[in-house]
Amino acid sequence: MSTVHFPFESHTLDNGLRVILQQDCTTPVVAVHLMYHVGSKNERPGRTGFAHLFEHLLFQGSENVPREGHFKFIQNAGGTLNGTTWFDRTNYFETVPSNELDLALWLESDRMGFFAPSITQAKLDNQRDVVKNERRQSYENRPYGLAFETVIRNAYPPGHPYRHPTIGFMEDLDAATLEDVHDFFRTYYVPNNAALVVCGDFDSAAALARVEHFFGDIPAGDEPPPVDVPTVSGSGAREEITDRVQVPRVYIMFHSPSFNDPEFEAADVLTSLLTEGKSSRMRRELVYERRIAGEVEAFTWPTEGVGMLFAVATARPGVEAHELEAAMMETIEGLRTDGAKEEELVGARNRVRRALIRRLQSVGNRADALAHAQVLRRDPSYVNQAFARYEAVTPDDVDAVARSVLEPDGRTVVTVLPEASDG
Amino acid sequence: MSQVLDRSTPPEPGTRPALKLPHSGRYRLSSGLDVLILPRPALPEVSLRLITEAGAALEPERECGVAELTGRLLTEGAAGKDAMQMAGWLDRLGAAFTVSASYDVTMVSMHSLSDTLSGALDYLAATTREPSFTASETERVRQERLDEIERDRDEPSIVATRKLVTAIYGDHPYGRPSDGTYESVSSLDAESVRRFHHRRYTSAGAALIACGDVDAERLVAELEGRFGDWTPGTDRGSLPEAPSHPLRPGSPLIIDRPRSAQSEIRIGTIGAPFQTEDLYAATMGNAILGGLFSSRINMNLREDKGWTYGARSAFHFRRGAGPFVAQTAVETPVTADAVAEMLAEIRGMVTNPPSEEEMSLARNALTLSLPRQFETTSQVTGKLARQVIFGLPEDYWERYPERINAVSREHVVAVMERYLAPERLVFLVVGDAESVEPGLRAIGPTEVAAG
Repeated sequence: MSTVHFPFESHTLDNGLRVILQQDCTTPVVAVHLMYHVGSKNERPGRTGFAHLFEHLLFQGSENVPREGHFKFIQNAGGTLNGTTWFDRTNYFETVPSNELDLALWLESDRMGFFAPSITQAKLDNQRDVVKNERRQSYENRPYGLAFETVIRNAYPPGHPYRHPTIGFMEDLDAATLEDVHDFFRTYYVPNNAALVVCGDFDSAAALARVEHFFGDIPAGDEPPPVDVPTVSGSGAREEITDRVQVPRVYIMFHSPSFNDPEFEAADVLTSLLTEGKSSRMRRELVYERRIAGEVEAFTWPTEGVGMLFAVATARPGVEAHELEAAMMETIEGLRTDGAKEEELVGARNRVRRALIRRLQSVGNRADALAHAQVLRRDPSYVNQAFARYEAVTPDDVDAVARSVLEPDGRTVVTVLPEASDG
Repeated sequence: MSQVLDRSTPPEPGTRPALKLPHSGRYRLSSGLDVLILPRPALPEVSLRLITEAGAALEPERECGVAELTGRLLTEGAAGKDAMQMAGWLDRLGAAFTVSASYDVTMVSMHSLSDTLSGALDYLAATTREPSFTASETERVRQERLDEIERDRDEPSIVATRKLVTAIYGDHPYGRPSDGTYESVSSLDAESVRRFHHRRYTSAGAALIACGDVDAERLVAELEGRFGDWTPGTDRGSLPEAPSHPLRPGSPLIIDRPRSAQSEIRIGTIGAPFQTEDLYAATMGNAILGGLFSSRINMNLREDKGWTYGARSAFHFRRGAGPFVAQTAVETPVTADAVAEMLAEIRGMVTNPPSEEEMSLARNALTLSLPRQFETTSQVTGKLARQVIFGLPEDYWERYPERINAVSREHVVAVMERYLAPERLVFLVVGDAESVEPGLRAIGPTEVAAG
């Protein structure tokens, strides 16, 4: 059976920065990935969207890097770069030709250590406007774009750190101040709250010396305050919203094993049996046989705290939302009643193994996977263990998750309905 | 104790790694099918692409969308198996299978573990050579396509691009959506699909590309067994010449979408075919105008004004003269201002020619990025596919840096002036017409259409 193993080494600098080096000289490129253990779950009330707004500010320069300098320096070196924010973490990453490793380390270390003096009200105001336009473009002006934030608002009790979306709400973005920026930086952007992954064409010993050179003198900070992510049982909540769409879409969400949970892989395989491939259960029944859905998709969100498992289906024209939801639940009940079959698992294992190998091909994605494993699981070797863990999932494991997770009374349901036509 | 690190200047780069791009072996099967193989045993996986001369630009106008529908139907019954048997076969293999019908070609892409490659090749041969195209499955998938076309109307960004290309190209194939219109797909049936497949899925102009954990000779033998007797067609079709001037330049076209949170803006025109001496200068000019994050349009609209999450532009090089499109989405009140700023930036490429710093950034971004564009097997087969589609020489990518580096500022200015002359520009906005129309009248007489 084809499998792979990516050897890496792991170090901790005196200031607490975790460093993971994964040498691979196949292509003369190197990925530098810096992940901070802070995301939207760390935001305080009235400041939703702040972690993501802050991520934008980190591209606005630092003491030795001019505004937009990150983009110019990296693109001028032939590299690519970006940053993303999610519930649990924020990451910054670039892939550059292997002779430009120092440049990437210089840029990332300058904003980790020397961001604060460079931030101004004008930069904050500009990026606040950009982020508000990101919210308009990617959520408000997009069909079904507000569905996920409606799901989590219904699935979690008030005050729960996963109850609001990473993009945040307009009034909270408006409320963000420079003082918030400085507090957030001081609290969370410390080397002891981050993991640096370097993956690609380099010599490990030399690379570690360069990392020490650029990051070694950045002082450790206080340990950031921990966030309590309470386990929640199913909410049973439902909400209907309207949108400028022509057909209804149904979102069903169950609380599921987190990325850290021993049952995470079984839950992931469960979603694969539901909608991955045309012979999968929900796709076959709803799209092919009954022809009531145009699209179906089930997936898990690999969160650090309580996980989320979604099943989403878009109605065909003329199909009512309640009819679609009932059909989705029938498939789910069918899986709970009949149990997973070994032959379904054969395909799921092949698909998962192939998809993992494909994803881990590029040094950028591999660095991303190592960083997630380090920051969310405290164990980068998960990247290599994942193959065996998915391989070991049995029908009984899937059945156990189906019984415990897919509890119909606990589901959160959000239905997006077409707006009444205004002519 | 070490000295305090001087961080004030960026570190000097190390020695630049030599550009070593992989070369594929070339083979030809008995049927005339060209095969390009690049063994790369680093990981146990293989990327495959089969390219056929089944591009959407070759469709008869009344059958617009038949290339896409044909591609969708390959998996829905073949080689004596029905749709669900085919689905079960693929899902057990665990391989990925996608078909995309672009204007130029139809490309079937597969990704497989090396230990399931033989099964993947069987599946590839069955779908492309022996699809059943039964009346009932054709009807089902045709209906799915119609549903999708309807759902696309909900996406302002899709609506904007579709309406733009029609306003540029009119009746030319590039003015039609490559996957068809509601009307044209409504008229398709199993017979039209069968006819298209028979004519276009042949070895004429086709190529099979593989990169990954393979032994080239063994793979050629496996392919000979599956494609060695493929229909050796001769008809490669011919593309109607693109118009020289866009259909309706000047007057902004507004697609009304009341109460939109943002306006989707498009400024476009007829660009150039891939095979043009202007390719490199146009690529450089676009990088500076709107191709890179640090481009003029994005710096102005996003980083200076804060009006948008992003603004960009591109020449869509095809076998024929594909479009140039500059695009953004902005908050409604600044719509007309944003159009004016984009127009000013397009003109600025002539009135305020690129600085040496801009030229250097564009050159470096385009050429020093080559190694990472060949990192994964799918990237490699994608690059080889471009070589096949555009008939590029083996050393195309090796010579790419010298071609880009040879582009002068004067050539960039001349190309931007010629292609992006103001009288050639088509303006389109999808947004709240009542709010945006008054401001847009400054560009020219406006026309409002329903969404």
